[in-house]
Amino acid sequence: MARIRLDHVTKKYGSITALKDVSIDVKDNEFYVIFGPAGAGKTSVLNLIAGISDPEEGDILFDDAYMNYVEPRERDVAMVFENYALYPHKTVYENIASSMRTKKYRQPEEVVDREVKRVAAMMNISELLERKPTQASNGQRQRIALGRALVRNPNVFLMDEPLAHLDAKLRNSMRKELKSMQEAFHTTTIYVTHDYTEAMSLGDRIAVIHEGSICQVGTGNEVYYLPETEFVAKLFGDCEINILKGCVTEEKGRTGIRLPYGEEVYPVPDDVGERLQCAGVKDVDIGFRGWAIDYSREPRKGYVRGKIYTHEPLGNKVELTVSLGDDMIRFIVHVDERFEIDEAIYLHFNMDKGIFFHSETKEYLVRHNEEVMRGGGKNG
Amino acid sequence: MANLKLQNLYKMYDQGNGKKDGVYAVNNLNLEIEDGTFLGILGPSGCGKSTTLRMIAGLEEITKGEIAIGDMVINDIHPKERKIGLAFEDYALYPPLSVYNNIAFCLKANKVDKKEIDQRVRKIAKTMKVEELLDAKVEGLSGGQKQRVNIARALVRNPRILLLDEPLSHLDGKMRQILRGEIKRLHKEIKCTTILVTHDQMEALSLADHIAIMKLGVLQQYGTPDEIYNDPVNIFVADFIGEPPMNLLPVTVQKADGGFCFLLLDGTRIKAPAKFHSILEDGQQYTMGIRPTSIVIADEKDYDAQFTVDVFENLGDERIISIRILEDFLTIVIEDMLVFQKGSRIYVKMKEDLLYLFDRETGERVREQGQRNGG
Repeated sequence: MARIRLDHVTKKYGSITALKDVSIDVKDNEFYVIFGPAGAGKTSVLNLIAGISDPEEGDILFDDAYMNYVEPRERDVAMVFENYALYPHKTVYENIASSMRTKKYRQPEEVVDREVKRVAAMMNISELLERKPTQASNGQRQRIALGRALVRNPNVFLMDEPLAHLDAKLRNSMRKELKSMQEAFHTTTIYVTHDYTEAMSLGDRIAVIHEGSICQVGTGNEVYYLPETEFVAKLFGDCEINILKGCVTEEKGRTGIRLPYGEEVYPVPDDVGERLQCAGVKDVDIGFRGWAIDYSREPRKGYVRGKIYTHEPLGNKVELTVSLGDDMIRFIVHVDERFEIDEAIYLHFNMDKGIFFHSETKEYLVRHNEEVMRGGGKNG
Repeated sequence: MANLKLQNLYKMYDQGNGKKDGVYAVNNLNLEIEDGTFLGILGPSGCGKSTTLRMIAGLEEITKGEIAIGDMVINDIHPKERKIGLAFEDYALYPPLSVYNNIAFCLKANKVDKKEIDQRVRKIAKTMKVEELLDAKVEGLSGGQKQRVNIARALVRNPRILLLDEPLSHLDGKMRQILRGEIKRLHKEIKCTTILVTHDQMEALSLADHIAIMKLGVLQQYGTPDEIYNDPVNIFVADFIGEPPMNLLPVTVQKADGGFCFLLLDGTRIKAPAKFHSILEDGQQYTMGIRPTSIVIADEKDYDAQFTVDVFENLGDERIISIRILEDFLTIVIEDMLVFQKGSRIYVKMKEDLLYLFDRETGERVREQGQRNGG
């Protein structure tokens, strides 16, 4: 295990810049997720750490050791591949032992035996040691592959979209298997994914990467509840965040927001008001997630009239798209109600639930109860 | 009115050497849908959904059985004469032609009056929101735009039935979501009987007013999305519909003070709902089904089961608690902003109406007395 750092790294492939001045600092033992859309540069980061490619500029450090130009096999890095790459003709025991029987990492057989049994117990696969991988379930196979990589106690574990090829159901349960084993790892892990649920579930911290640059590094709660930019806000959540244009007003010392859908002034909580006043902004973008919008079927004070554009029942919830002024507002309703296209509906925007961004820079300004949100909620 | 009726419909493919391959791709399918229905045919690959669609379109020979529109059996009617509009997933547009000429193609071939063609093309282009693209070449269009043109082309002939074969599966998330909404609105506007074939349960639930769910050529259940979701007839339907999927766990019935409980494989007990008491006996084995959203957090004073949290995930939009039951997980989805630690003890209630039992052997639903019979 080791602390892994990229320090102002730039990577080019011919005329294409894959990574621009990227710095990350992965703590010893941390489970660090690199998250971003396809082509963002995620795999380039892994390749630099593994030594598969070298940067044009910047340093790669394992603890304090300078690793640029160090051969991949000298770096003691373990890769877990998408398909696990287990030997089908060897037993589970032999599969796990194989990484301690190579020329470079050869261990005495009594050490091999002790380590295989230790890792097998940790991964909850002790009963399978004499079986072949084909006789194991998918979850067990994943644990065997991880066990094989873990047994060597590498500097860092690299995982490149290990669940991407699975169907939705299996991906869900494998994600939980991984999470369930995480505490047993005791190894620095860098995990690449484009799936926000994997990132939020697994990462101690998440580095959001886009077009070769890091946009934000933070915990799952931070990137979801306190996104530094509108761009990051849009990457997390099933139902894309709604961004509304708001105008900051002040009346009798009270800060409020006027939306383009009517004259209604929505009061903002004090912590938000203060920050908006300090920043001295007139126009703001306000992000409302799909579960953060209130509605009524009847006219109601403080609610603005919209029209149902479409409604999509999905079993235990309905996704509603409502046309309001020039905007389409999309949100989730967790009730067993029937809706009709073009029917009137009344929406309310509770500023306690909004995320405020600067209207020009699109950067985060404030939201209500920042510290509570950072913790992800109350203890249950 | 033109109801569509499929009666004892069978399909067996040739092996290529003139012999049948012995497997029914569609096996005794019976369906009757009213004019104006939006039917979703749903199932995994190989379930016979596309074959069914192709037989309705006339692209596939019918091995046995009848397809009728209204009182007219259409088995022997040429595809062109069936008045059916068809839009496949891969568009099959003519790349050198403009959007306008793609939509107009068929009308021109049928020598429809030029003025009328123009009217109809412009009208349908408006409905499908491709008016501004009429002069563009097809090549430069995005996937979503191509599918709109594709559907417009199918609709311009005023079909009696519109068939859509996985129309959204080539599109990426956002585009798919937008076009899904458009198709829903389109149906409301033109009220043309529509059949959608899909493997995506979300698509079927959100678009169709009736769903036929198939497996290996056999119809499993036909009903409204609500019936399919809340009243599944067997374990296949229960498992196929819903995201995250329904918890399906083997249980043994055990007598417990005055009632019964379900014993999970790891020995955990779940109080059996009173509605099942009349059919339960000590030692019976079932598969119990309950959706992750049908389990709610309770307290130690009143609960149906207690568990130890193995995995807690805050995914922002929802939170997932997973309980390990040997090799499986039992999943609970909560909407409240609560945080749980690994290893903590939780007390839960099960929503009684939404707890299902299935026969361990056949997978068929086991119903308590007097329960509604879906499908």
